[in-house]
Amino acid sequence: MAKLRMKKIELIALLTDSKKIIELLQRRGVVELCRNDDDELTGTNVTAVVGEFEKFRSTVAQALDILEIYSPEKSGFSDMFSGKTEVEKHDFGREAMQLEKIMNSAGDIIRKSKIIDDAASEISQIDMRYDNLKQWTPLDIPLNFKGTDSTAAFIGTVPFLADADSLEQNLPETCSVEVVSATKEQSCLFVMCSDDMSSQTNEELRKMAFVPVGENISLTPSELLDKLKEKRKKLEETIGDTKKAIAEHESGRREFKFAVDYLQMRKDKYDALSSLGFTENTFVLTGYIPEKFTTALEKEITGKFTASVTFTDPSEDDDVPVMLENSGFSAPVEGITKMYAMPSKTDVDPTPIMSFFYYLFFGMMLSDAGYGLTMLIGTTIVLKKCKLEESMYKTMKMFRNCGISTLIWGALFGSWFGDIVQVIGRDFFHKEIGSIALWFEPMDDPIKLLLYSFGLGILHLFLGVAVSFKMSWDDGRKLDAVLDTVPIYMIILGVAPLGASILTDVPAILKTIGTPVLIAGVALLVLTSGRSSKSIFGKFFGGLYALYNTATGWLSDILSYSRLLALGLATGSIAGVINLIGTMPENTVFKAILLVIVFIVGHSVNMAINLLGAYVHTDRLQFVELFSKFYTGGGREFEPLTVNTQYIKFKEEKYHE
Amino acid sequence: MNSMGLALAIIGAACASLFAGIGSAKGVGLVGEAAAGVVSVDPNKFSKVLILELLPGTQGLYGLLTAILMLRKIGILGGEVASLTTAQGLMFLGAAMPIAIVGLFSGIAQGRAAAAGVGITAKKPEHNGKGIIMAAMVETYAILALLVSILIINNIAV
Repeated sequence: MAKLRMKKIELIALLTDSKKIIELLQRRGVVELCRNDDDELTGTNVTAVVGEFEKFRSTVAQALDILEIYSPEKSGFSDMFSGKTEVEKHDFGREAMQLEKIMNSAGDIIRKSKIIDDAASEISQIDMRYDNLKQWTPLDIPLNFKGTDSTAAFIGTVPFLADADSLEQNLPETCSVEVVSATKEQSCLFVMCSDDMSSQTNEELRKMAFVPVGENISLTPSELLDKLKEKRKKLEETIGDTKKAIAEHESGRREFKFAVDYLQMRKDKYDALSSLGFTENTFVLTGYIPEKFTTALEKEITGKFTASVTFTDPSEDDDVPVMLENSGFSAPVEGITKMYAMPSKTDVDPTPIMSFFYYLFFGMMLSDAGYGLTMLIGTTIVLKKCKLEESMYKTMKMFRNCGISTLIWGALFGSWFGDIVQVIGRDFFHKEIGSIALWFEPMDDPIKLLLYSFGLGILHLFLGVAVSFKMSWDDGRKLDAVLDTVPIYMIILGVAPLGASILTDVPAILKTIGTPVLIAGVALLVLTSGRSSKSIFGKFFGGLYALYNTATGWLSDILSYSRLLALGLATGSIAGVINLIGTMPENTVFKAILLVIVFIVGHSVNMAINLLGAYVHTDRLQFVELFSKFYTGGGREFEPLTVNTQYIKFKEEKYHE
Repeated sequence: MNSMGLALAIIGAACASLFAGIGSAKGVGLVGEAAAGVVSVDPNKFSKVLILELLPGTQGLYGLLTAILMLRKIGILGGEVASLTTAQGLMFLGAAMPIAIVGLFSGIAQGRAAAAGVGITAKKPEHNGKGIIMAAMVETYAILALLVSILIINNIAV
């Protein structure tokens, strides 16, 4: 249990088998490869091949993305959790044979999507032109009209609100001005003058910031507008047709997905080849493998290929990766350990240590049997109905276990969707049901629950200290093990009755025993904590410092467990308010309808928020309070060469222990 | 019946939900702004940043919880309205102060920490959990304040 023992693997085989062996290792996914660093052996350069595969892969992936835009994949509730499609190995090979066809369709999709993009940008240009032209519609002269033999014409805009009379006054006498349209920002003008005044008029117009119209075409504005409209319609048709054409590739989606995964696998395979060392006829592969897989792998490899496989223990300075394995009860919280940090070489795996308290604290903070039941049912359905990826499966199982714990705590505290049982009894059947708690209601006696919270917290912390004791003891530092833990146990056990007496009545006998235990603990701590220091002053002040640290550290650690009470109370009382709001109307029928609505909406929200709270704060109690007692972390997770696919997985036998 | 005492107690309940609520609203708002930025680049991170955004929301809930406990105790919610002396009213007002004031400031501070956590989610999504834990550290002080408020309310003799 806990951290798996790792072995170093060295495999020597014929060069001709290299690809097949890598393929086998990839499918088994139990070996993490190390890069060859032996200068005697030559490496191999696969950059070009890997680059090629990556190019193909990204092309198909891009085509898939485009397909997703124009023909979105339908997905139901169960798809949300379900994992990859399972395929037989030979199916996959056959699919992959049509790679050329797939690449062609992918290329086609990308080309078509480019057509759509081009058409769309052209449409937006047309729209801009169209908007500009609209103000010219009253003009029934071609836009490139420059005048007749004896006249000159100017078509263009000035950036102000213009009227014909005042403009004519400012221009040479022969000019006639027609204002086609005018707004505050811009006026469209058609100016005519006799040919000989042309340059003078031009000069005058320029002074008014006159800009000639941009369209140079022998059509009247309304003719041009019609033409643009028609062009736009055609472009839109093109887009529609192309979209349909892309959607026709829908049937190939499965092949695309397979191709993406296939190319990824090929790429990984060649990447792996680059970490091997080669001689003329053989190759050497080194890596790490969990000990329990060694025999099975050796049997398979030596059975199929001419190869020599040796397993050795990793040396002290090897960077050995870590793989966790735990019992069915603890394994679901492995994700929580990983979120903090993988255990380092010297660490123990904290997963089995925290798992029980994880479920316990989670349930205590959510503490509503109705919510617990909902979680239990929900996760059980998902676990039954959906094929889950391993990490998702573990998370679901974790929430299922937390749900069971929540159900138990909720029943102990008598909270079923808050006080819904009592509320229905009172409002609809005129019966006072009273408390249905199997233990007691926290709201009636929060101090009692607070003390239990601190008590559980002390147990949790003592467990952490015990682990650190065992680690030191196994390490041979037996004196340190005893002196670092016993004084702490004595101090906390001694002070606990005294502290509790502030909040509640404590039997006098406990207080009488507590005081001397506390004093003995403090004395032991002060006298021994400075033992590593050389001078007598160092020893003394080291002891005092340790006392100060222990006092403040443990006080804040234990107080931190008050969140067990606070979050539990928050869930229950907000649930109570929800039920209260639902039963506000006097009329029974109206009350029933409102209660159903408020119940569903309100409890969903309350459950979601408090679930998040319980999750975050349970994590915190583990990470900050428990882990600080013995755990450092900083290990590297085992990352075997494996089939790193997005969409498919092979139906294949995995190794068993 | 001394209406002054009752009025003071109600002001206390109002303060608890008011200031803690303001703190949460500011905090959640801060994270929301940062989160929207991340989602605009990568919509798939929505669920991850949503968790961070909800974290500073708890202070408001604690304020609500305190207010409900007080309203129950003085009988405004379900029961006979108790008769309070001015001194008792002031006690309730005092009881509301820890969660009101700590809720206000810790909500904002937690919002800042969580908004920074959104940055982690944006750059290194796999370390999202660490950002959550850092933001959750702030909440301890709101919980302690809530605890003190609850203990006081529970122990005022009415």
